[in-house]
Amino acid sequence: MAAADSPSAALRRRDLCSRGIRLAGKMRSDVIDLLDTYVERQGLDASASVVTVEGVPVAAVERWDEQTGTQRLLENLTAYRAFRVLLAQMLEEHREQLGDADTGLGRALAAVLLQVSAFAYHLEELLRLESRGPPSEEGTAPPPVPHLGLFERKLRGLGVLRELAQWAVRSARDLRQLTKPSPGSSSAPSWAESP
Amino acid sequence: MFSGWNWVAYGFCLLLNFSSLQVSGGLVQSCGHIIPESPVLALGSNFTALCILNESCLDFGNIYANQIIWKIKNQVVPKEQYREINRTVSSVTFNDTSSLATPLTCNILADGQIEQNIYGIAVTIGLPPEKPKNLSCIVHQVSKLIYPMTCTWNPGRHTFLDTHFRLKYRWPQDEFPDCIPKDVNNSCTITDVQFFVNLEVWVEAANALGKAESDRLVLDPIEIVKPLPPHNLSVNSGILPTVLKLSWENLISGAVMKLKFNIRYRTIGDGNWMQVPPEDTASPRTSFSVQGLRPYTEYVFSIRCMKEDGVGYWSDWSEEKTGVTTEDKPSKGPPIWRIIDASDSLVSWTVRLMWKTLEPFEANGIILWYEVTVRAKSSLSGPAEKYNVNTTNLTLKLPNGTYEVTVIARNRVGASPPSVLLIPASNSKAPVKAVRTLPKDGKLWVGWTAPNSYVLKYVIEWCLVSNSSDCIIEWQNEPGSVQGTYLRGDIKPFKCYLITVYPLYADGQGSGHSVKAYLQQDRPSKGPTVQTKKVGKAEAVLTWNHLTVDEQNGFIRNYTILYKTVDGNETAVPVDPSKTEYTLSSLTSDTLYTVRMMAYTDEGGRSGPDFTFTTQKFGKGEIEAIVVPVCLAFLLIVLLGVLFCFNKRDLIKKHIWPIVPDPSKSNIAQWSPQVPAKHNFSSKDQMYPEGSFTDVSVVEIEADDKKSFSEQDLKPFDLLKKEKSTSEGHSSGIGGSSCMSSPRQSVSDSDEGETTQNTSSTVQYSTVVLNGYRDQTPVQVFSRSESTQPLLDSEERSEDHTGGGDGTIQRQQYFKRSSGQDETNTDRPCFERTRQITPTNEEDLLGFAQLQISGHSSQLLGLGLEKNIQEAALPDVLQTSIEGQTLRPEIMEGYPLSADEMPKSYLPQTVRQGGYMPQ
Repeated sequence: MAAADSPSAALRRRDLCSRGIRLAGKMRSDVIDLLDTYVERQGLDASASVVTVEGVPVAAVERWDEQTGTQRLLENLTAYRAFRVLLAQMLEEHREQLGDADTGLGRALAAVLLQVSAFAYHLEELLRLESRGPPSEEGTAPPPVPHLGLFERKLRGLGVLRELAQWAVRSARDLRQLTKPSPGSSSAPSWAESP
Repeated sequence: MFSGWNWVAYGFCLLLNFSSLQVSGGLVQSCGHIIPESPVLALGSNFTALCILNESCLDFGNIYANQIIWKIKNQVVPKEQYREINRTVSSVTFNDTSSLATPLTCNILADGQIEQNIYGIAVTIGLPPEKPKNLSCIVHQVSKLIYPMTCTWNPGRHTFLDTHFRLKYRWPQDEFPDCIPKDVNNSCTITDVQFFVNLEVWVEAANALGKAESDRLVLDPIEIVKPLPPHNLSVNSGILPTVLKLSWENLISGAVMKLKFNIRYRTIGDGNWMQVPPEDTASPRTSFSVQGLRPYTEYVFSIRCMKEDGVGYWSDWSEEKTGVTTEDKPSKGPPIWRIIDASDSLVSWTVRLMWKTLEPFEANGIILWYEVTVRAKSSLSGPAEKYNVNTTNLTLKLPNGTYEVTVIARNRVGASPPSVLLIPASNSKAPVKAVRTLPKDGKLWVGWTAPNSYVLKYVIEWCLVSNSSDCIIEWQNEPGSVQGTYLRGDIKPFKCYLITVYPLYADGQGSGHSVKAYLQQDRPSKGPTVQTKKVGKAEAVLTWNHLTVDEQNGFIRNYTILYKTVDGNETAVPVDPSKTEYTLSSLTSDTLYTVRMMAYTDEGGRSGPDFTFTTQKFGKGEIEAIVVPVCLAFLLIVLLGVLFCFNKRDLIKKHIWPIVPDPSKSNIAQWSPQVPAKHNFSSKDQMYPEGSFTDVSVVEIEADDKKSFSEQDLKPFDLLKKEKSTSEGHSSGIGGSSCMSSPRQSVSDSDEGETTQNTSSTVQYSTVVLNGYRDQTPVQVFSRSESTQPLLDSEERSEDHTGGGDGTIQRQQYFKRSSGQDETNTDRPCFERTRQITPTNEEDLLGFAQLQISGHSSQLLGLGLEKNIQEAALPDVLQTSIEGQTLRPEIMEGYPLSADEMPKSYLPQTVRQGGYMPQ
């Protein structure tokens, strides 16, 4: 907490939160656009329901408002690290499947992947300001991708994007929550006391 | 000789050997090499190269390092830069590589005679890259999702080497591939960047001599975005006539960037943009209502955007869209004025009401019609006359009086406030004072001094003054608070305008105050045409006409009269412009003057055509002063002469008309039994039949006797000669003396040519025969000569002879006479010739004939010459001429006296020596 107490750290945290929120907003916007493109290009039905994909973190959570700041950051970081891997896989599959024929979808996927990476960096920085530092990625590595057919891969990709859109919304709310001053504390956010 | 060839062969072999190369196992091996191989050197640095000889060459060719010569291109490097490291290695050092060039060669001087190249290297000289400076980046939005970032920098000095630039960027946790510029070395574009994460950007420059990096730039690309301008801008008119609503779409997502806007607008035709206050559009939006616009006006709108917090760049302005506000009722009544024509009738006026169309910003719509109301002030309670007019004027015939005229403009929305004009009976109120004009900024400003009373407004009336067109009145209204305004109209330069200012009061109108003005003056288009009204000996009155208004092009400030003589200097005389006449004085008499006239405006002058006149030789009265005295003197002389003649009339009569006694009344006549008719000689034969001559008197005149003639004796003779000369024109061959006949007459006769000859051969000259009957009164008888010889020729020949005898001078005198021809003097040479007869010879005669040829017509001369030859057969005559001392009777025949002369020699009273005496 020593770092969090300094004015520059508070300023840095505020800046990171602010930009994280806007990045999450842009990411959501881009993912929504990407979803339309993806559904169209992959020949999927936009209303198709996708069951929960294994290895994809779920944005919905119970007792969200009871979470501490660090907990929120850690959950977010875990999720986005997972999305980073999943999107990289999707991009690789897309290139294997279409080569350079559909550069629009590939570019959009790459752009979203970059945003996910950037958001993960924001989260890591926030956690670093928390004096705990980000957890190692080795322990949070997603399970190996099961061998799936083409259609399943498409559906899986659709599920990843939909969940990412959900996470973008949640992340923005989490970061806003982090920027709110704690009612019982003058300056330190409540998530500083999280386990 | 042999040893010489041996040395050559040895050298050649050596050459082949060094040349280098020894073949060993199929590979070519050099005798040495240079270190470093093809170096790249920094400009200005020092450099040392080593040439290392192979050991094999040492043994074979006896070459050592001390024989090495370094060369740059073909120039030998000074030996001071060499250093022999050992017997196989030589070094060369350059303190400044700028003196280096390619190739640098190592050469050997074999046996001190033959120079052979061992090895060579290429040297590249350049500069290490400088640190790139001024790195800056901008993100251009090219579509809704694509944001390429372009970074530019200053690459620094030219390195003369192949230098590579790379734009490097990275996130704190991620590296990205470098951006490599294409075709340029100072910018590179990263195709897509992600926002909200700090990006570290820098430039790396590298070449063979080194590497340099710019300062690192850490930025969030969202802060350097130049967004696309809003698109699909639309303009809609609102409910209010002063509001237009703009709508647009933003091409950048609100999630990415919150925007603020600038909105600018202008009216159609106006180049100046107005801007909506920025604070009104500083928040994200997609529409805006612009207020405070003019009704029924077309506006052009444009919009741009940037990041809300002002970090980044403004977008370009969007495409322009137009919109028109709705109509509103006219904001003011039309300006109104009138022209009153009272010339038709004494009891009524023709009033032409005029009003101006409202400006668009005043009309606030389309004016449909004007309502004109005319009410007589004397009966305000009476009904007003109303007219609905579509035009901007109305002519009414009104009885004399005071009227109140109101005009209202109407459009679809409503009516304007009324404009009121009083038409007074007379302009009895105070006028403005000191009306003045001033050209300013291409317009004509009119100023005046307001009267003391409160003025409601002013009417400025003006018209173009021209000879070619009528004065078409234009006018404008100005509020009563101003004392000057610019004329609103097409005011042309170089034209004269008559400007009148009327003050309008609440209860009447002041009289107008006028002034003439020019927007811009120029030189007159022509000068005055000057001419003389009157020219005297030393003065000339010049007149001219004023230039017309169209020719003046400005106010004529003065005239200048320029006049000069043909070779004199020009004199200029300034003349007041109001004058049309001027008198030039102090002119020289009888001299040609050229005069012209210049008219000057403020901008210069122009000259009229030249006019010339000549002053008179005499002044007024000078001729009279000369002529009158002369005439008087002449008259006086004449009068005196007449008086003198009158007094001496007897004397004069005696000299001019001497009393000639009538022979018939003489005593002799009294004893003459028969007096034949004086001129009755028509028939000579009858009077003197052939052979009837009984006596011929021959008068012999001795030359010596001539001197004995007294003057008195000769006087009558002279008088006779004079008389003869005056009547010479009537003399003919008959009875005419050749002496009395003029030479011209003789020539005239001989001009007849052959005819004359024939005539001369047939004409018979008369001879005065003095009948000397001793017992009868001698009478003058004309006897026809039977001679066919022209008498005149004889005379001439005799004259020729005498002339020839005198030599050249005499002949010239003769010619003078014969061509001078004052015939009154023809008698004189006769006597002179008589006196000057001198001997001559044939040559002189011929010579004389030749002179005649040169002095007379050829025909005449031919004749004369021929006659001379013929007359040469007249020995008597010629002899007489030659002898010259005695005049024979034939000579007398050659000088026959006329009938009038006869009495002189005949008269008994005038008996002369040798004359005839009655017996």
